[in-house]
Order: sequence, then structure tokens, then C-alpha cells
Amino acid sequence: MSEFEPKIVAFFCNWCTFTAADLAGTSRLSYPPNLKIIRVMCSGMVDPKYVIKAFLNGADGVLIGGCWPGDCHYINGNLKARRRVALLTEVLKQYGIGEERFWLRWIAASEGTMLREVAVQMTAKLKELGPSPLKNMGQMAI
Amino acid sequence: MSERIGFFICHCGINIAYRVRVEEVVQYAAAFPGVVVSKDYLFMCSDPGQDLIEKEIKHQNLTRVVVASCSPRMHEKTFRAACQRAGLNPYRGFHMVCVREHGSWVSETEDEATAKAIVLVRAGLMRVTHQSALYPSKFSVNPNTLVVGGGIAGMQAALDIASSGNKVYLVERQPTVGGHMLQYDKTFPTLDCAACIGTPKMVAVGQNKNIQLLTNTEVESVSGFVGNFKVKVNQRSRYVRTNCTGCGDCAKVCPIEAPNEWDVGTKMRKAIYISFPQAVPVRYAIDKKDRAPCVQTCPAGINIQGFVALIRVGKYREALDLIMEKMPLPGSLGRICPAPCETKCRRQEVDAPLAISKLKRFAADQVDWDTLPVPTIEKKPDTEKVAIIGAGPAGLSAAYFLAKKGYHPTIFEKAPQAGGVLRYGIPDYRLPPAILEQEVNYIRKLGVDFQMNVSIGKNRPVGGLFKEGFKAIYLATGAPKSVKLNIRNEDAAGVIPGIDYLNLLNYKQPVKTGRKVVVVGGGDVAIDTSREAIRQGASEVMILYRRSRAEMPAVKSEILAAEEEGVKLELLVNPIEILAEDGKVCGIRCIRMELGEPDESGRRRPVPVAGSEFEIDCDMVIPAIGQQVNPKFLEGTEGVEMTPWGTVAADPVTYQTSFPGIFAGGDLFTGPSNAVEAVAAGQQAAISIEKYLLEEELAEKRPGKPTGSNWRGIPKNIVRLPRAKMPVLPAAERIHNYNEVELGFSEEQARTEAGRCVLCGSCCECKLCVNECKAGAIDHDMTDTQETIEVGSIIIATGFDPMNPAGMTQYGYGKYRNVFTNIEFERLSNATGPTAGKLLKRDLKDPLKFTDPPKSVAILHCVGSRDKNYHEYCSRTCCMYALKYAHLLKDKCGHDTEVYNFYIDMRCFGKGYEEFYKKVQAEGVKMIRGKAGSITEDENGILTVKGEDTLSNRLIEVKVDMVILCTAMEARPDAPEVMRKFGIGIGPDGFFQEQHPKLAPVSTPTSGVFLAGACQGPKDIPDTVAQAKGAAAECLALSSAGQVEIPPMISSIDPDICVGCQLCLGLCSYSAIEFNKFAGVSEVNSAICKGCGSCSGACPSGAAKVRHFTDKQIFAEIDGLLLN
Repeated sequence: MSEFEPKIVAFFCNWCTFTAADLAGTSRLSYPPNLKIIRVMCSGMVDPKYVIKAFLNGADGVLIGGCWPGDCHYINGNLKARRRVALLTEVLKQYGIGEERFWLRWIAASEGTMLREVAVQMTAKLKELGPSPLKNMGQMAI
Repeated sequence: MSERIGFFICHCGINIAYRVRVEEVVQYAAAFPGVVVSKDYLFMCSDPGQDLIEKEIKHQNLTRVVVASCSPRMHEKTFRAACQRAGLNPYRGFHMVCVREHGSWVSETEDEATAKAIVLVRAGLMRVTHQSALYPSKFSVNPNTLVVGGGIAGMQAALDIASSGNKVYLVERQPTVGGHMLQYDKTFPTLDCAACIGTPKMVAVGQNKNIQLLTNTEVESVSGFVGNFKVKVNQRSRYVRTNCTGCGDCAKVCPIEAPNEWDVGTKMRKAIYISFPQAVPVRYAIDKKDRAPCVQTCPAGINIQGFVALIRVGKYREALDLIMEKMPLPGSLGRICPAPCETKCRRQEVDAPLAISKLKRFAADQVDWDTLPVPTIEKKPDTEKVAIIGAGPAGLSAAYFLAKKGYHPTIFEKAPQAGGVLRYGIPDYRLPPAILEQEVNYIRKLGVDFQMNVSIGKNRPVGGLFKEGFKAIYLATGAPKSVKLNIRNEDAAGVIPGIDYLNLLNYKQPVKTGRKVVVVGGGDVAIDTSREAIRQGASEVMILYRRSRAEMPAVKSEILAAEEEGVKLELLVNPIEILAEDGKVCGIRCIRMELGEPDESGRRRPVPVAGSEFEIDCDMVIPAIGQQVNPKFLEGTEGVEMTPWGTVAADPVTYQTSFPGIFAGGDLFTGPSNAVEAVAAGQQAAISIEKYLLEEELAEKRPGKPTGSNWRGIPKNIVRLPRAKMPVLPAAERIHNYNEVELGFSEEQARTEAGRCVLCGSCCECKLCVNECKAGAIDHDMTDTQETIEVGSIIIATGFDPMNPAGMTQYGYGKYRNVFTNIEFERLSNATGPTAGKLLKRDLKDPLKFTDPPKSVAILHCVGSRDKNYHEYCSRTCCMYALKYAHLLKDKCGHDTEVYNFYIDMRCFGKGYEEFYKKVQAEGVKMIRGKAGSITEDENGILTVKGEDTLSNRLIEVKVDMVILCTAMEARPDAPEVMRKFGIGIGPDGFFQEQHPKLAPVSTPTSGVFLAGACQGPKDIPDTVAQAKGAAAECLALSSAGQVEIPPMISSIDPDICVGCQLCLGLCSYSAIEFNKFAGVSEVNSAICKGCGSCSGACPSGAAKVRHFTDKQIFAEIDGLLLN
């Protein structure tokens, strides 16, 4: 049987982390293909239901990437993301999704190397944890 | 209608195709439901590529298009435009998938890259069908431009834009435009002088009618969007008005010096200064920080830093005038003030606080009070009379300030002489009566009427004075009554309260002093009393104090002086009974105390030690444990309320009592305090009384106390100096007479002591400049001005900072005098620098003195550049200016001067650069390929540079007189702050990030905001100017288009779903959401909304959505990514 390849859905803000992902590319910093990016304008627009939807659809991990506190393109959307993630983490735990599967990271536009680090670490962590317990729930409409 | 999707994937040459098997993706997409066209092309962004998409849209009637290529941040606009040309709404019909930056470039194998590309494409194909048509809004463009930074980049951009006829606001935070370029001497490779080519630009910027120059100004905040920015700027006060002629007379008299920033500290400037002679605007500026802590602490608000600075430069009369602005008794208070200011003096961070109080005395002692001119006072009508009860410090002070304002104060004093506690409470050996007398006489000369030996009270009540024609009354009778010990036999003969004892002696009344005297208390009165008793012939004087020495409230130097004179201290002792025989004191019974828990005063509470009682033989007991108000003077006056503590009640701000028109202050109001507090009270009372007489609101528009702690830094290398020691009469010579004990500072002592001041506030507000300025341009009360500027575009040209190499200890910068940085060397070489353009060595002892030309010099390249420990990048200019320095050294110091260049690689890439390199080499400059490792200095100041010559593979050592470090150009430390204000980005090197390194070198992620010059990365002058012109062209393009389209991806709230919970209102950082009370729903103001989605992420009912990022669209993308 082939090795378990976790699926990571990454919501990256347009201004910092999405740009960092572009920089990682321009700098040819390879990272595991497990992480796939959905572009949002701000980490603050990531609705909890997007995260829940991703897990229900079989994601093994969800990563939200935003600007460092103080650097948000929209003043403080990232801080709203931080509050939301804190609450959502507690909710997800009830369903067997531990905080090690749901990450929020601040990655600035210039931090291409950090983006790679996070992708590498998260993939390794999820491989260690194995498939998400919600994996077999199938696709559910919410 | 069913969807007809077209899919297009780009090879990007081989950038995508070298990892992604493009054909496989095309096949996958072709089989995807709804896809009718699936094609690849070598360069999709090229014209033929775009044509391909347009043709397919038209021929195949495509409803949607997905392009898989580079990052949407790169070509989303390109393909949107192509779709639009072919008739699709670009927001409904187009989606872009990134398979290069997020695909081929970050994957290691073809399999990985292809599989990832397919998943990403699938997500895109699923998303695109959920997209809706959106229409960008159009806004007009304000043709004005803001340029931030007045260096060569900012000046050039401003001039270019101004020449089009549009208006430019040029904001510069320094007092002059010019920037680093104008600090330089010559410019490579042509060697034209920076000033010769730079100053005409400065002048042009200053004179162009389309440029509004805002120096000393910083941008506070930016709002709005491209074409319509609102920028708040704060112009820091210069304290010099525009009618300044630049003559420089002010700087000649200014007593405050500071290192000149323009000369990077190689030269001093005054607190009122101009950066360099050609500065634009040619207008002086005052470097003023927050008022010094001493000034903030002084109850009377004396300008301490000011008078100290004036003493330092020998202007004693001016120093005294400055003191007398706030306090009429400088000689008296200079002798007895407890000096709360000194406790806050920042000099104690170095060694010890300044002897401020004694310097004040020095200033007062330098003038002849009899001939001291009286200021011309514009007198008010004779009817403007004010009665003042009490001639102590509070009363004298109130009278002084009222008289100076032209009023007619009359002081009623029951004693024969004025001065109150200063005259009758303080012994003559501390404050000779003649000193007080000359100050009282001066106050008299101002027109104050002194009515001595007049008692106000029962026979002539306070209230009756109104009938005598006085319009306001100030009560300042102090707290002359002593507090009792309340122990047995306190009425025995030989018991006399301390203040009464001092009064009697000062009135020259006979008073019998015992042989063995016991004084009870630890304050100034106890100390004064004990020293008086010594002078009155007591053979033994003992002070009993119930706490320890540390808690004694008396002035420390006075306690020591008393001990020198033979007074004994019995600490931690409390009297419990006075022993008397035949009604006469024969001893005192005491108990020992120990210190317990701190009480409300913060001092540890003394507690009696049980069974420790003991007796002391004595024939006189002087209690000096406190004083209180004597309310007798209020007899016959109704309506003046007292507090439960026996003081007169008054408003703490206005000092008005419950009786309108009657004011109170000093000890009478505060309870026993000190003289400087009383003077301050008098000053405040004078303000209130004037307001009362003018019928103004008493509490309003009163001068405020200065605050703040933005003070000048204390130099690290400051030399420690002892605090001046006051010369005194030896104890043996003074205990039998009343000669003044403290003799006063010598002139040299005073000026040296004044020189210890660390100049906290920079400008000391001595106002010498004001008197000197013939144009009347100086205004010390000027305040910062805020302004909101409306512009359509912004150019950021904030430049760079040269790296400070002090951290690289191997080079000894800051330690070895003759190790210079490149900017320091530029200033040396510049005609307006510290040596007027001569290249000279620094004096080994005095860093501000320059001696003779160096015979040999080493120039170290790449200091902080191309260095993993500092900056990995190349600073791009150092090789060339190092060659320039080599040439200048040969030229100015003679061709026999040895010049060594330690370089890694020579980078002479520009036009004429290589030729310049050849020319300098031909001049005999030694080029050593290798980085210098260390510098050491011998006792004669000769520097040994050790390094490796990598061409001959050997270590070398050269001995030189001077070293120049070519330091890296680095981003300004506040670049992150600027980044946030303007919504731009910063790259890994710390400089601002351009939108594309090649094709959008002056654009930023925020449209309408452009970059120019070294704030975007190290560059030389030609490149900077070229970039500035590029940025100017971008702004002009915007202005001439006249209109901008704003992306339509903003929030909307579906009124059918919104429940009106208003959660979104609090989350919106732009206040773009309002609640419609009638409809019961929240509504988005589309002109303000930026589309961040804080509302949509939080909306509990799902009514708030960001267009183009709706749930359906994101869900489809998630589905696509996770489909099995």
C-alpha cells in the first residue's frame, strides 16, 4: 500500500501569504504537493463553514495564512481570523479534529522560506497523525 | 443555457512545461463536464495566446474561461481584458489557476507537478461556473500627487509632475530637502559636485509654484483609494516663521549645542539651526524636545535648563531675568530651596544631579540688585487694587506678579519686616537678611505697597478691605503656629516651640537658651533650631527623632552641617514625658522605637519598643514636630470656609475661597510646605486674581504644566564629572557667629557645574534668539499643524539609511578615532562639512577636532553588504564611491598618499564606471582582493588593517592613518510603519517591494502608490533619478486618464436574509456598514467598503458576502480540491 498522503486545504490572504507562496515559487523552494491553496482577500473572510466543509469533504488538515498582526492590508482582519480560529478550534475538537490539524500561521509576503517550512511541517505532522477521523463521512452538503 | 467552458494552459516557455505534463492536463480538462475547448500554448500571455482565447470564445460561444498559467497576481488583468474584448464579463466568465508559482516551480517531480496541476485546474473549473457578472465602479482621479521624501528621487519626481501643470505636495521630515545626495561631495564617475547639480533642484523645488513644500512634516495616515487619497500630514513646529531671512544671528547667541545630523555628528550645531548653508527652505528651525524634567518638576515652573545654559555661557544677568519670570526670590530660594527639581535631574543617570538650586543662588549673587533695572510696566488705573495679607513667600510672589501686570497690590504684614518665614523662620547663617531685603526692595520698586506692623483680624477684618477699595484679597498668612507634643509638663519653663524660638531670635528678642538642649523632630525647623542653640551657647544639643536618618524630612546637607557643628542625633527615639522640677525643665523621658510596616506616607511606621524607656538630662526642650494655621486673622470675617484640618478651603485650581474675590495660598492652604510651593501658589493666585478682575472664567485658559518624556538622549561616551562642592565656613569658625555658612560657587565652579547639564529639552527656551531676531520670525509658542491633503497618486521616496558599523567590533568604529564611515568621509570632503572640504585626521582626544591629512588610508568595501551576518545583498554603490574616495585622497592629500582598497569583487557596471575604475587604478591606488578581517590601533593612533589577499593567497597587514568603511545601504528602521500606512509590501531585504521586479518596478500592491529611489533597494543616483521619472510618469498617466476603475469585489448584504443583528457593524474596520432602521437590515456603503470580508466571515445568517468570494464559489473550489 502506498504511503498516506494527507490533503491540506490552505486559505491564503491575497496580500501576504498568497504573495509569499508566489515568492516561494519564484525562489524555486519546493514543498510537498499536499498543500493546495485557495486565494481569499483576507484571512478575516475565512468563514468557519469553509473549514468545516473542507474537513467534511475529506481534508486531513486546514491551514489559514494571513499577515502578521499589525500588517493586515485591511487594518485588522487577521485579528478577527485569530479570534474565529480560537473558537473554531474548540468546536472542531468536539468532532475529533484536534488543533494539530487546523493551523493558523502569519506569513508575510517576504517569507517564502517560512511558507515552505510550514508546508513541510504540516505535511509531516499529518502523516504522523494519519487520516482525518472525518475522512469516511463522505461528502456532505452543509 | 448549459455552460460552455474553455480551458487554456500555458507552457510559459518551459517554466510550466518542464514539470507539468501539459498535454495530460489538457486531456483531463477536455473530459471535464461542460468543457468544450481545452488547449495549450507556449506563451498564453503573448498576443497570439490572447488571440487564441478571444477567438475560441467567439467561435465556440464559450460562457466561461479558465486559464492555467502563472500567479493571478501577474496576469489576471491580462486575461480578464482578453475575455472582456471577446464579450465575456471578466468576473463572471474568467478564472485563473496558478500552476507555475504554486505548481511547477515548487514541485520536485513531473508526477507531483502534473497531479497537483490537475487538482488545481479541477477546482478552477468547478469554481468558474458559480461566478457572477460584476461591474467595476469608475471614479474620477484627483490630478494632484503626494511625494513622500525630499531626496533626489522625491525632488526629481516632484519637478517632473509639476512641469505638467499638476500640483505636487512634497513632504520631507527633515527641515530641508536634499537627502543623502546633498550630503555627498563629488558624484561618481563624472566627479561633478553633488551640490552643484543638486542645489539647483532644491531651489527649483522651493520655487516651483506647483510644488507645495512641506518640510519637518510626516504622513500620519492615508485613507481613500487610487485617484482619491486623503492624506493626513503633521507638520512639526519649526518655531520660526516664514519671514526668517536665514541671517543666522539667532544661532550666534544660542547657548545650546547638539551634533549636527546633517554632518553625521562630525560638527556641532546650535539648538536653532539650519542643516547646511544651501538648505531649502532657507529658514532656521529650533530643535525642541519636551521640557526638561527639572522644569516639569519645579513647582514654580522655573526654566531651569534655560538659566543653567545661560550661566554656562556667562550670561548671568540673562539667567537671572529668566528665573525672575517665574520666581521673584532667586537669592533667597537659591539658598534654602529643597530643590525637588534635582531629584528628577537626568544627570544622575551618569553621576550625580546638577546643583540646580545653588546655581540659582549663583545667578542672583552676580548682579547688583540696587541697580537692577525695573521693567516698564503698563499700569492699570489706580482703582485696580488688591490686598494681600502676609508678606511671606506666597504673598510676595502674588504681589510681584500682580505688580508686573500693572495692578496695585498692597501687602499687610503684622511683623516689622517683610519675608515671613524667610525672614523670621530661617536663621541668618542660612539666609542673610540682606539678601532677602534686596529682593523685597526690588518688589517694592515694582510698585507694591508694603503696610508693615498692620494686623488684619478683629479690628480690621478681611471682609472690610473690600469697603476700603480693594477689589480682590489674597490670604497668605502661612502656618506659623507650632504643633504641641501633648505630653506632660509641656508648659514647664524651658519648653519653647521651635518656630517660636527661631522667631524670637530673628526678631532679636531676648531668649534664654539652656546649657543642655533637646530638640524634638526631624524636619528643617528642628535642624535650624539645633544649630541656633549651638550659636546661642548651648554646650550640648541633641535632636530626638522617632524614625531613622533615611526618613528625616530635613535637607540632607543641613543635617550634616548640624552634626559638624556638634549637634547629636538620637534616632528612633520618642519623648513620652518632660521631666520638671519646680516648674522648670530638668530632663526628658523617652522610649526607643523600631520601624514597622509602612504607613500612608510610604515611610515605615515607628513602633515603641516595650520596656526601653530612658531619661535624658536637659534644661531646655524644643518641640519642632510641625506647624499649623493660625486662623486669628479671619476674626470678624464671615463666609471663608475652613477644612477639617484647620487650613483655609479653596479651589485647588483657582485658589478662590468660598468667599468670591478672596483667594488663599501657601501654607495657609496646603498646610506646612516649603517656600517654592508658596511662590508657585502666589504665581497661580496672581493669574486667578487678574482673571477675577477682568471678569473671566477663573479655571479656563490657565497656562498648563509641561509634560512628556521625549528628551534628548544622553551620549554614551559622556565623561563623568563630580557635582560641584559648595565651599563652606569651617565648623569651628561658624558656630559662634551668624556669618553665612555656605559661601557660594566661584564663577569657574558655577560654569563647570552648569556644563554638566545634559540638555534634556535641547532648546532651553532662554529666548535669547527672540531678542536677537531682527525679522521677529521666532515664535517659541508655535504648535504643530495638521492638514489633510487630497491627491490622486502617491510616490514614496523615503530613501535609505547607511548602516551603523559600530556592531562590527572587529573594525573598531566608534572606538578608534580615525575609522570613518563613508558618510562621515563625504562630510569631511564636502566644503560645508567640519573641515571645509579638507581631508584631515581626527584628533585622538577630541572627536570634533581635525588635525592633518593622512599619509595612508585603507578603504574597506562591503562593510555589512554581501555578508550573511548583516545583509546578503550588494549595496551597488560602494565599489564606485570607494574609487571616488581613492581619487579624492590622491587629489586632495597628494599623490604620495597610499590608498588601499580591500574589495571582494569590483562591480563597475554603469555607463562610464569601468572607465573610471581604470583611471583610478592608473593613479596608483592599491587594489587588494580580499575582505579586511580586523583593525587595531596603537598608542599613536596608527591603524593596522589585517586581511587576506586572495589573489596571492597570503595574509597581509597594512599600517594606515585612516580607514574608511563603505557601509551597506539599508532600509530605514521605520520602513514597516511606512509600509502599513500606505498598504505596500516589504521584501526579505527590508526594502519596499515593487509589484514586479522587472515589469512593474515602481508599482506596489496598492494601486496609485508608487516607489522611487533607494527605498525600493540600493541604487545609485542615475538609477534613482530614472526610477523617479518612471514613478512620475505613472502618476501622470493616472491623472491624464482622469478616471480609474475600482475592482467590484466588495461586500454586499442580502436584505432578504439579513436579520439585523448588526454584528457586522462592529467588525467593519472602515465603518462601511450602516443599519437601516426602517428596513431593519444592515447595508454596505459601496464607496467605502474595501472588500476584506470581515463581515462575511462572521455573518451568522450568511447574508453578508464578498462579491467574487461567495460561499458557492469557495465551496466549489473546496469540492474541486478534495474530489476523489
